[in-house]
Amino acid sequence: MDSSLKGKVDQACRVAEEFTKLYYEAADKRRHLISRLYLDTGLLTWNGNGVIGNEKIQKFYIELPPTDHTLTTLDAQPILDDAVNGQLTYLIQVSGTVKYQERTPKTFQQNFIVTAEGGKWKIVSDCFRLQEPISEK
Amino acid sequence: MSKKFQNQQHWKPGYNEHDFRSTNERRVTFKTKKSNNKDKGKDWGASIRAHLYDEDIDMGNIAGPSRPGNKYNKKGHRSGSPAPKTMKRKLWEGPSGWYRVTLPYGNKYDKQFLQQTLLEKIKPLPFWPIAWKGAGNIVTFFVDEFKVAEKLHSLHYAIQMPDGFKLIIKVIYGSPNVNIDQELKDKMKLAMANRYNAANKALDLTKFHTDPILQDGFCALYKPIILIAVIEIIGENIPDLEALCLNDNRIQILTFLKKYVEKLKNVRILHLAHNKIRDMSMLDSLIGMPLVELLLDGNPLCDRLKDKALYTSEIRNRFPKIMKLDGIDLPPPISFDLAEEHTLPPSSQTFLCNSEGGTIVRQFLEQYFQLLDSDNRQLLVQAYHENAVFSLTMAYPYGTKDKASNWLNWYSTDNRNLLRVTDSDRRFKLLKKGHVSIVSFLKDMPMTSHDIMNFKVDLTVFTSLMLSLTVSGMFKEIKSGHKHSPIRSFSRTLIIIPAGTGYCICNEELHITNATEDQIKTFKSTPMPPPPAVIVTPPQVSIPNALVPNTSVPNAPLIPEFNGIDDLTKQRMVEALSAQSGMNSEWSTKCLQETEWNFDRATMVFNELHKQGGIPAEAFVK
Repeated sequence: MDSSLKGKVDQACRVAEEFTKLYYEAADKRRHLISRLYLDTGLLTWNGNGVIGNEKIQKFYIELPPTDHTLTTLDAQPILDDAVNGQLTYLIQVSGTVKYQERTPKTFQQNFIVTAEGGKWKIVSDCFRLQEPISEK
Repeated sequence: MSKKFQNQQHWKPGYNEHDFRSTNERRVTFKTKKSNNKDKGKDWGASIRAHLYDEDIDMGNIAGPSRPGNKYNKKGHRSGSPAPKTMKRKLWEGPSGWYRVTLPYGNKYDKQFLQQTLLEKIKPLPFWPIAWKGAGNIVTFFVDEFKVAEKLHSLHYAIQMPDGFKLIIKVIYGSPNVNIDQELKDKMKLAMANRYNAANKALDLTKFHTDPILQDGFCALYKPIILIAVIEIIGENIPDLEALCLNDNRIQILTFLKKYVEKLKNVRILHLAHNKIRDMSMLDSLIGMPLVELLLDGNPLCDRLKDKALYTSEIRNRFPKIMKLDGIDLPPPISFDLAEEHTLPPSSQTFLCNSEGGTIVRQFLEQYFQLLDSDNRQLLVQAYHENAVFSLTMAYPYGTKDKASNWLNWYSTDNRNLLRVTDSDRRFKLLKKGHVSIVSFLKDMPMTSHDIMNFKVDLTVFTSLMLSLTVSGMFKEIKSGHKHSPIRSFSRTLIIIPAGTGYCICNEELHITNATEDQIKTFKSTPMPPPPAVIVTPPQVSIPNALVPNTSVPNAPLIPEFNGIDDLTKQRMVEALSAQSGMNSEWSTKCLQETEWNFDRATMVFNELHKQGGIPAEAFVK
């Protein structure tokens, strides 16, 4: 039991490494391709703003100021079968800094639920938060 | 060289006609030791020194009252005859705009009387002595206007005091060294608070040193250390300041502000009129401030840049958003469409992909964090699936200066940062597997008090099968050995599935970092409601609905109905205790039974007994 879990954990970590590399490269430099990383019905929540559907997410991304992400930590786990009916699904959590338009970097945390669909890894949900207080404006 | 010439022109037009060097026998000598005087730009060097006709005037930061008072005698002015026999030396306008006035026998008289006397004599000029100090017989103070200084200078030996003594008044240019201590800082804060207009978020520091609160000290903004202290107070107390007025402060140098501009990041209106800013490059250190309005009237740099268009474009190069300069509205700049300014969408505190999920999420979080902040985290075992997995990462936030006071050492041992931990065995090991080992880890974590009011919550998946929930916010770490309880920031990603009549966590990723200064300002200590009765009773009791504050909600308890610990859980607890204590499973079982399956108490009882040698050797035979 433990050994099969270990294999899954191992794979989750490797997918997470590869995924985050591709994701942040797309977010910083190839936003016109970012929709391909999401399920058609994928969800992005950006600082509490929800965007549903991969096309809309891409549009949202394109309208964001230019970004430059740097990762500080990465963590990943396979999600228990009970939750996902046995479909291979990972939970990935990231922290790091992001520069908007060459400004002072801001610290952020982000997590993804990534699932295997049709031989490709796709984002089910993507949740981003800057580590700063909500401004009252 | 050309720069020096320009400075001379600014100096004093009458320089050539009144060259004392030809009539005065004293020669100009340049002191070699005077260079502790960093405030003045290099440009000043030789040209200023050329104006020194008296080698006794120390150009440096004259060390206040410690200046020896016997100079006079040495020069012989007062030896022999009481009458002044020398002609008055002319007072030159100094570069800092500050003048030090010494009254060698002034302290004989009552301070108020003396001030009144001087005030009347120099009328109609205003008399505003700064840092008045009496030491021995000598009184010293400072004035910030050349005209006043000149007038005082002319009154040397011209005021007869009631006792027949003619007041000796020595005036030279210069200012004292200043040290900022807590007392001065508190006074500055008070003066600033009086001058702050909260409605407009505006702070008016015009002629700051003349503030009645600060007049006793030498609190002149032309001293970089004072200006820095002011900006630090702004950063700490009014970070959202939008308008700052620094008019009439004789400010010369701004270069040192580069590091502090971040603290003025919301200041859009800046008034710097009637200061001594000589060169446009001084403003370089302010680049990055989102200025829309700037006032520079009355600074030497304005005279130097006569070409208004050039002046405007020099300012706009540094502050592209300027709309109003020296009181005049500027036409909007012409720019390229591509360079359009992007702004970030506003944030919101909560996102729920399904509004029905709101109640469940709220109840779940209330219960979870109430238990987490309690001293019986053992109860959280019910909040986790028996095969749940948990992992932790930690990092310091960007730009943390003072790590030492808020070390995250405790968390670093279990930091499962895949960017650092590359070994697959280690990656596997750092994953906490099963609810017993997860709760055992949670119990070991420092005690916490979460700021629930400021939680940011995102519910991103809500199906009959599972919920995905992200909570981020702050907690205060309690009793963890830090001098001051540190405020941490966290982000928890939870995968939650229905279990029985409630819910349980099957995956959790926790990230811990220090709260940033901005975050800490919003931290609210939420007093926890009194601990529910369940905390003191053994965990076999189900978590009553009373735990859920809003009992009108029909939902069953979120954490599954719980009538006694199930056998599998018991087995896990036995295994965990056995691993931890070294006892065999029979004795571990016994220990847990006697402590009513409270893992905490079991380990505590074990430790106590073991210390006293109360556990027989057979207990450790496996």
